[in-house]
Amino acid sequence: MKSLPFLFLLFPLLVNAQTFILQGVITDKKGGQALVGAAIFDVDQPTTGVLTDANGYFQLELEKGTYTINASYIGYNDFSQTINLSQNTALNIQLAETALKLETIDIVAKREKSTEDPQMSQITLSTEQAQKLPALLGEVDVLKTIQLLPGVVSGNEGSSGFYVRGGGPDQNLVLLDDAVVYNPGHMLGFFSVFNADVIENTQLYKGNMPAAYGGRLSSVVDIGMKKGRTDAYQIEGGIGAIASRLTAQGPIVRNKSSFLVAGRRTYAFDLAQPFIRNSAFNGTNYHFYDLNTKFFWQVSEKDQLSFSGYFGKDVLRYVSNIRGIDFFLPYGNQVASLRWNHIFNSKLSADATLLFNAYDFGFEVQQAEYQIELFSGIRDWNAKLDFDYFPNERHEIGFGVHYTFHELTPNIATATNGEVDFSNELSSQFSNEGALYVQDEWKAATWLRLQLGLRGSWFQQLGPYTSKIDGRQYEKGEPVVSYSALEPRFSSAFLLNENLSVKTAITRSNQYLHLVSNSTSTLPFDIWVPSTERIRPQRGWQYSAGVFQNFDDGFEVAVEGFYKQLDNQIDYGENYVNNVADDLENEFVFGQGTAYGVEFFLQKSQGKLTGWLGYTWSRTTRQFDDINNGNPFPAVYDRTHDLSIVANYEFNDRWDAGMVFVYGTGNAFTPVKSLYLIEQKLNWEYGTRNSARIQPYHRFDLSARFFPKGRQAEGRFNSHWSFSIYNVYSRQNPFFVYYAVDTNLENNSATATAYKVSLFPIIPSVTWNFKWGA
Amino acid sequence: MKLSTSPFTILTIFVLALLVSGCEEEFIPPIESEPPQIVVEGYIEGGQLSTPPYVILTRSIPFSTTISGEDLNDIFVRDAIVKVSNEEQTITLSEVCLEELPQEMRTQLIRLMGYDETTFSLNVCIYTDMSFQFLGEEGKHYDLEIYADGEVLTSSTFIPPHVPLDTLFFLPPPGKVDTSFAQMRCIISDPADLDSYYRYFTQVNREPFYAGLPSVSDDRLFNGLSFEFPLFKGEPFGEVVDETFGLFDRGDTITIKWCTMDESHYRFWNTLEFNTANQGPFSSYTRIESNINGGLGVWGGYSNSYYPTVVGY
Repeated sequence: MKSLPFLFLLFPLLVNAQTFILQGVITDKKGGQALVGAAIFDVDQPTTGVLTDANGYFQLELEKGTYTINASYIGYNDFSQTINLSQNTALNIQLAETALKLETIDIVAKREKSTEDPQMSQITLSTEQAQKLPALLGEVDVLKTIQLLPGVVSGNEGSSGFYVRGGGPDQNLVLLDDAVVYNPGHMLGFFSVFNADVIENTQLYKGNMPAAYGGRLSSVVDIGMKKGRTDAYQIEGGIGAIASRLTAQGPIVRNKSSFLVAGRRTYAFDLAQPFIRNSAFNGTNYHFYDLNTKFFWQVSEKDQLSFSGYFGKDVLRYVSNIRGIDFFLPYGNQVASLRWNHIFNSKLSADATLLFNAYDFGFEVQQAEYQIELFSGIRDWNAKLDFDYFPNERHEIGFGVHYTFHELTPNIATATNGEVDFSNELSSQFSNEGALYVQDEWKAATWLRLQLGLRGSWFQQLGPYTSKIDGRQYEKGEPVVSYSALEPRFSSAFLLNENLSVKTAITRSNQYLHLVSNSTSTLPFDIWVPSTERIRPQRGWQYSAGVFQNFDDGFEVAVEGFYKQLDNQIDYGENYVNNVADDLENEFVFGQGTAYGVEFFLQKSQGKLTGWLGYTWSRTTRQFDDINNGNPFPAVYDRTHDLSIVANYEFNDRWDAGMVFVYGTGNAFTPVKSLYLIEQKLNWEYGTRNSARIQPYHRFDLSARFFPKGRQAEGRFNSHWSFSIYNVYSRQNPFFVYYAVDTNLENNSATATAYKVSLFPIIPSVTWNFKWGA
Repeated sequence: MKLSTSPFTILTIFVLALLVSGCEEEFIPPIESEPPQIVVEGYIEGGQLSTPPYVILTRSIPFSTTISGEDLNDIFVRDAIVKVSNEEQTITLSEVCLEELPQEMRTQLIRLMGYDETTFSLNVCIYTDMSFQFLGEEGKHYDLEIYADGEVLTSSTFIPPHVPLDTLFFLPPPGKVDTSFAQMRCIISDPADLDSYYRYFTQVNREPFYAGLPSVSDDRLFNGLSFEFPLFKGEPFGEVVDETFGLFDRGDTITIKWCTMDESHYRFWNTLEFNTANQGPFSSYTRIESNINGGLGVWGGYSNSYYPTVVGY
């Protein structure tokens, strides 16, 4: 029975007709970047057109004849060429950016393929779009921009952490050029690790993930780095309130290979050093930095090779000279990916990818002869082979195999008092994870598009390990427990007319690595743990359906509903105390989750005024036998109402402006129920989990950009200014609440007070950006 | 001795200090209307200074911003039947309220509870063995049964064998703290064959004993080791922590009360202290883990030793 879905997928291949293939790559004429989602079609039969894939690649299957082939992409001049097709033909197309951008279409957040694509719940966001919006302290952040989309809920105030359709913070798969980024936050998540200058685009899947993706229950954020220009050298950068950026790119061999190197670093604390140096905290400093690099080589017409690297770190040193205390706290990600793209023939192409990613967290504290060190981290070695097969014009088939070897290091603590050494004797955990997948995007009829996918996933925990169930000792490399699952992915689009469609989707997903956080976002000291005998894989079903309507005047409306059932959810027990001696596996409790909601999305993508309105109504609950007396409770990130209004206006070639307004139901928190006396002090007993709400969150941001020479100015050196005002009306949004009691039995009285703390008032910022080069 | 300064705390404090330009204000949280629960605070101690069992019974009060003296006097549960038993015998404790006692006995009892008898005005009622015939002993289990206002509460505790400090002494504090302060160092030999749980209190001159913060530790990081560690001066709850936190004043006469206890007793204090110390944007709540069936609070056995000394180096 298990092989039936595969047969079902492959059956249409047996009935294809003899035709010729027109294939190629569509790139940006100036920078050589692949244009993802560009449309290419025969003008006489536009409905048979296709869109380019993540590499800018397209393939059209046409019968022998003469065609007028048209290619178009937002913000670029159309391309048109007549082709006499009598054999398989390669056609590489370079599109030029339109000079009169104000007059052309400008998509703000692009719902790829719109009404015709069976893929649901997916949005592509270009970095340029993010750069038009207000940014906290001027740092453009794609993860904060996607929080403005319906179905995506932001974490804490100012945080780049996010939740998708009721999923936890660990249920988002964040990829940078295919490599997993386990902790995408700097400075406790206030900024993401993604330097916007090197990000080409960001694709968000809120559900209905294509079968090529797996390992997380809720979403995929697939971030692609730019490749360097192959035609000319260019240096660009920016000087901002807390950080500066510099990117250099250009050809290694003109029109054949390129490099891109970029760096970003904060300096607020460096500037404050003269003051710190004269204080009791001399030696204290903090900064974070990101280094990105990408090398690209067009080896032949059929082969491309690219290497991407990312290295970023937060470094905190805190020195108290009075007490002789020295804290050192570095943490960061490393990512490397090497990809070879090969076109076998007109119907088959492949990507072979080798990936390495790591996350390290360290902590050292020293006072006199006492020293404590803490380390946790992740190492992944990953290999992928992905194929795209285009048997005929009605099918786009993707299939592949993925393998990852995980090394997860929990909090390994060592300490010394100068004479005796201490250790919590924890050690790294090892595991294998693999997947096979196949997916067919099938134009089943003029009115019906189907996406049929199946992913088989497998996970194996390896020794050395001591069973938490029976105490058995497993040797190094010895299998401890294995899990596997079939994950069907199905979606459909019923085209009611050219601009109106109804879509449905069902997605099954499994997650084998878990991060349980006590907070509302992932934090540097949170620990990822593998599935084990005791920790079973998280599993989820998501059902979604929606109506999608495009209007000729650039308006687009989408209404989507979803229902999500999550099993084997993980949390800490209610009596959990953070202790480095703990093996976290013993601290977890297990339960279930449910989320459902409706998302409304209205977008205007043409004209001087562009933007969108996103609104989500949703409910997210969790149920654990060991929490809240077994009763269901709202998840900490349950947000009933979530509204975002985003707008951009281009006044002229020199000025544009942006605004963001967000409103969200107040965060759930657990109120104190009662007070009681122990050891002369009042202590508090918490009430029903997450049964109270802090005030609603709302905020209004403004931005403007000024291009002194005009946006499309010619010349080797151009610059522009970005002005941002975060929280214009200085709303004191509650960041968290806390309780304080003062028991004074000598006066025979006591007080108990609840406080709410807000974080950011109005914050203006200015950033100067420049670009040098052709 | 315990890795009490977690990276979590340090990073949180640091980044908040960096970013906080907002403010805090009081607010009235929603109140859950639930009947009050009976709270047990009961101890029995063996070791160097054995004590009879004593139990304070109160009721929890709904969260409210101000609690008056009347409110506090009304929280004591009166006329309860409180029984304590070990493997050999069961006794019923007598209810004693401070206002009903002769002055000398009242003073003794307040001191026994660790209170300052000169300022204490609350009419605390306790249940205890006034005969002082039923004293705590190491290695024994003690069961507690309470019948109060139609409710039945039970618990059990164990007084483990005592693990004393080998020695304690003082050194100049690291860093650049004024030399009028001293840091206490202790040496302990933790037994390898026991899961040990420790708690300590410090008394300065004639002040009450205050628990350290944190005051508890298990031995998972040092099981079976003999080692030196610093011990911090206990502070009254809510006292502002400054740059001399945990240090002793040279010349003071101090006493360290060092206790071992069982795991459930330890978990009560461990969760209570974490409950208070770890609020904020990056942490969830921790519920205090009581070992009382049918109520809140703790029934705890201690095995104690006392170390009086003068601070100096």
